[in-house]
Amino acid sequence: MVNNMIIRENTIMKMYPLSVILATLLFVQTPAAFSEEEKKCFESREGASLAIPKEIEKGWPNVKCSPDTGGVLWWGDPFDGTIPMGEMPIEADYSKGEAVVKPRENQLKLFAICGVGCHNGVFPPFPKDKNPRKLTMHTDIIPDSLDLQHGRGGIWCLDCHHMTKRKKLVDNFGNEISFNEPQKLCGKCHGPIYRDWREGIHGKRIGGWASNGKKRWYVCTECHNPHDVQQGDLNSGFAQLKPEQAPVLPKGLKNTDHERIHKHH
Amino acid sequence: MSKKLIPTKNLSDEQLEGCEGLGLQALGIDAERGGAVSSSRRQFIRNVGGVSAASMMGAAALMTHSDQAQAKSTWAEWFQGNYRLMTKKEKAEAIARLEKRYSEEYGKKVTVDGTDAQEGVLFGYALNIQKCIGCRRCVKACVKENNQSRSKEQEMEWIRVLKMEKGEFSKDKMDDGYPLDYGVQVGGNAYSAAGVVLEGEHYYDPEKVPESDSHYMPIACMQCEKPPCVKVCPIRTTYREPDGPVVIDYNWCIGCRMCIGACPYWARRFNWGEPHLPKEEMNPKTHYLGNRPRMKGVVEKCTFCLQRTRHGRYPACVEVCPVGARKFGNLLDPESEVRRILDRKRVFRLKAEANTYPKFFYFVD
Amino acid sequence: MNKFIKFIIDYVVYVAKGGPKFYAWMGFLVLFVGPWIYGSYTQATHGLIVTGLTDQVSWGLYLANFVFLVGVAAGAVTVVFPAYVYHHEPMHKVTVLGEMLAVAAVIMCLLFVFMHLGRPDRAWHMIPYLGVLNFPSSMLTWDVLVLSVYLILNLVGGFYFLYKKYVDEPLNNKFYLPIIFIAIVWAISIHTVTAFFINTMPARPMWHHSMMPIRFITTAFAAGPALIIVCFLIIRQNTKLWIEDSVIDLLSTIIIFCLGIALFLTMSEVVTELYASTEHSFALKYLMFGKHGLHDLVPWFWTSVVGMVLGFILLLVPRIRKNYTVLPYICLMIFGGVWIEKGMALMIPGSIPTPIGEFSLYEPTTLELFNCAGNWAIGFIVLTILLKGAIGILLGDVRYAPASANR
Repeated sequence: MVNNMIIRENTIMKMYPLSVILATLLFVQTPAAFSEEEKKCFESREGASLAIPKEIEKGWPNVKCSPDTGGVLWWGDPFDGTIPMGEMPIEADYSKGEAVVKPRENQLKLFAICGVGCHNGVFPPFPKDKNPRKLTMHTDIIPDSLDLQHGRGGIWCLDCHHMTKRKKLVDNFGNEISFNEPQKLCGKCHGPIYRDWREGIHGKRIGGWASNGKKRWYVCTECHNPHDVQQGDLNSGFAQLKPEQAPVLPKGLKNTDHERIHKHH
Repeated sequence: MSKKLIPTKNLSDEQLEGCEGLGLQALGIDAERGGAVSSSRRQFIRNVGGVSAASMMGAAALMTHSDQAQAKSTWAEWFQGNYRLMTKKEKAEAIARLEKRYSEEYGKKVTVDGTDAQEGVLFGYALNIQKCIGCRRCVKACVKENNQSRSKEQEMEWIRVLKMEKGEFSKDKMDDGYPLDYGVQVGGNAYSAAGVVLEGEHYYDPEKVPESDSHYMPIACMQCEKPPCVKVCPIRTTYREPDGPVVIDYNWCIGCRMCIGACPYWARRFNWGEPHLPKEEMNPKTHYLGNRPRMKGVVEKCTFCLQRTRHGRYPACVEVCPVGARKFGNLLDPESEVRRILDRKRVFRLKAEANTYPKFFYFVD
Repeated sequence: MNKFIKFIIDYVVYVAKGGPKFYAWMGFLVLFVGPWIYGSYTQATHGLIVTGLTDQVSWGLYLANFVFLVGVAAGAVTVVFPAYVYHHEPMHKVTVLGEMLAVAAVIMCLLFVFMHLGRPDRAWHMIPYLGVLNFPSSMLTWDVLVLSVYLILNLVGGFYFLYKKYVDEPLNNKFYLPIIFIAIVWAISIHTVTAFFINTMPARPMWHHSMMPIRFITTAFAAGPALIIVCFLIIRQNTKLWIEDSVIDLLSTIIIFCLGIALFLTMSEVVTELYASTEHSFALKYLMFGKHGLHDLVPWFWTSVVGMVLGFILLLVPRIRKNYTVLPYICLMIFGGVWIEKGMALMIPGSIPTPIGEFSLYEPTTLELFNCAGNWAIGFIVLTILLKGAIGILLGDVRYAPASANR
């Protein structure tokens, strides 16, 4: 089987540049879609869940967004665009209430051609080993594949991503996991955090506060970027954001110099 | 026993989603003590009001309202008593009056809710200080939800986020500190703020947060169990509700600002002028003790978003925190998020030495 | 009843008439009333936003003046106490003038409190039975109660005395003396409560020490008599009422003792705070030296120190103390020193930094100054009227004459 794969790889290699050009062409077209996106505002981190402001009843929008940062500032409808969370392997809070999530799977920007042209199980050529290598594609998501900090070199792409089904993640046994529930994947390693998350201590939820109320749960990747887990020197699980405006200075003060003088006597 | 305390039936999805609670029918509380006393007192005020010196003051203040309809309802408001001591009927009247006035003023249907505290609920808050990135979204969410004044001259924010230094220690700082001439023995390198101290920056404005050398700490009303602000209020216009939040009857407040002086957390704000609240930005779902529009000359503060939380919704700041640092729930429910945090995490209360017993806890992972 | 109406008429008529000096003085005071009307109206319509107050410094000049004037009101007891407890005869003759000063000072207090309130139109919420008083929890409630009672005690005591003098009837001591003695104790209570009013707030470490009440009392008993000496010397010069030297000397001696103790207490506070130099000393440091590049209050503080210390030292010298040409200026210096010490230098730094560590500034606006000056001017107008009427009665210029005899 291994032999077979190598042979195939060789033949397909010849076609490789072609598909790259094809994919590049496809990506070039995408900016057209961006103007639409400007009306959306991001929820927790840029590049993850988005909300599209609309009026759900007169004078009552589903969300209000920040004109300064483009982030969601207020929820009129916390369950906007959500679906039931689905099953979790270990019983958690939501079994008492109602848990919903904002699905990501249907938002994945994968073109039909990707599955056929690139990730068809045959293509791209399956790497010889798991050692880090420079990626040809997707450098926009993973800028430095040779120095992926997630797992500190202990894991590689296909430990999380399904080999053939690019809209799926994968568990330890090769079973697929939906992008809507990455916690099943992340929880494999991050046990204590996963436990805190299940109990509502870690992570974010919106909706009803009661322990048996209806809540929208934010899943791992809505806040954390698995491809950039420590944000370089920042060493933080969160990407940096533009902050909202500082308060207006009280009367009498012209600047904030006094705040930065930290010589205490 | 704990099961009983959890409000199960009352929190239907409709309530959560709609958060409608116009609440006139929900005004139900046990007949207030001395309803007769308070109404006769009001009668008395009405009788003497025409000639009393106090009403002359009122007249002077009201003459500035040119709009006749508004002035009318304001007169009635002026004569109303302390909300807590009102009878059910009086409360309903006061609310109807306000709904009418607000709807006219803001050009849309404004509801003023009077829903009382649910039994078996004590609101509590927990904030993961390790997670906060200082983005101030909670601050702005609060403004959007709670109808604070928003203008350069009078900007009102109930949450203040402090930026604190992680501390900087280096070889070239070994000689910092007091000049030796003073003859005082002091240190050098560590002679600067570090960690959780109230010596932060309030007006930080970097391109991006979090900054690598800083951590952040939001501060708002702690909803103390033993609130000093309530103690000093000369007219009992601010008081603790049975479900925990410390509230203000904005129509009874005289603006003496004793409470501002007494609060160890600088949680209270004052309407120095007439609040500036644009019609289109006004949140029409309000509560009498919560986010209804205020008038000039009165104090306001965080109420744990009473208008939302009494109908099951999380406070606005909790929902908008991008890092999930803010947690809220029922302290009487062992299954609630706050109670789990109290069980599991190391929590602290800000200025615990003040013995105010906040229901707002800070914690770290 | 006729007698009483006659009393009022005679009193008013006497007070309204005066020489050029009197009209010049009153005219001068009235000058401040114009801006005051403008300032008060603007504040009533726009709110306190027209002042320099902020959420950071929410108690400013109005409350500072209030606190100081409560002291002046209490200071009147330095006239009443020696007269009735030590039977100081010359003082006894002019006791009523002290009471009039107390009345005027309390009226000024009320004016300043009204200015301070965000909703003066709702002040009726504080009237017992009409409103809801938070008694006994709130110190402000206590303050309202003790101040109103003090005003009533002095009004009743003073005018009862004047009326009896007017109709030339003996005082009913069973009625009068209890009022006097209650008023003496009450004078202490008003200032104690005013101190409790700010020092019961741990949120403001600068105020939160048990020394506050005694410091209040001692500074009050320095500033109060200082003003009384000035008034008495003016009265001596401009009216036929002769106030004995022994009265002036006793009052200046009281100033020495009380100011001395006050300065000692201030020094104790400075050492206690600055030696340990904890976070709680920030407000005092801000006041004395400035902090983080903000030092608006520093000149105020040191002016006050100079005024009080220099005044104290000068008064210690008998030759200067008994020189009645210099004495009023020393008294004014002390009065000014205490005014700053209890006003700008106490009320403002108490709010800086805020309980969560924010440093800021407070700059009173022109309108605020108009209002303060106006309140003082109105107070002095009231004081002048009260003193003039009282002097007229004491001198016998105003006395009851049956209608028939008058015609």
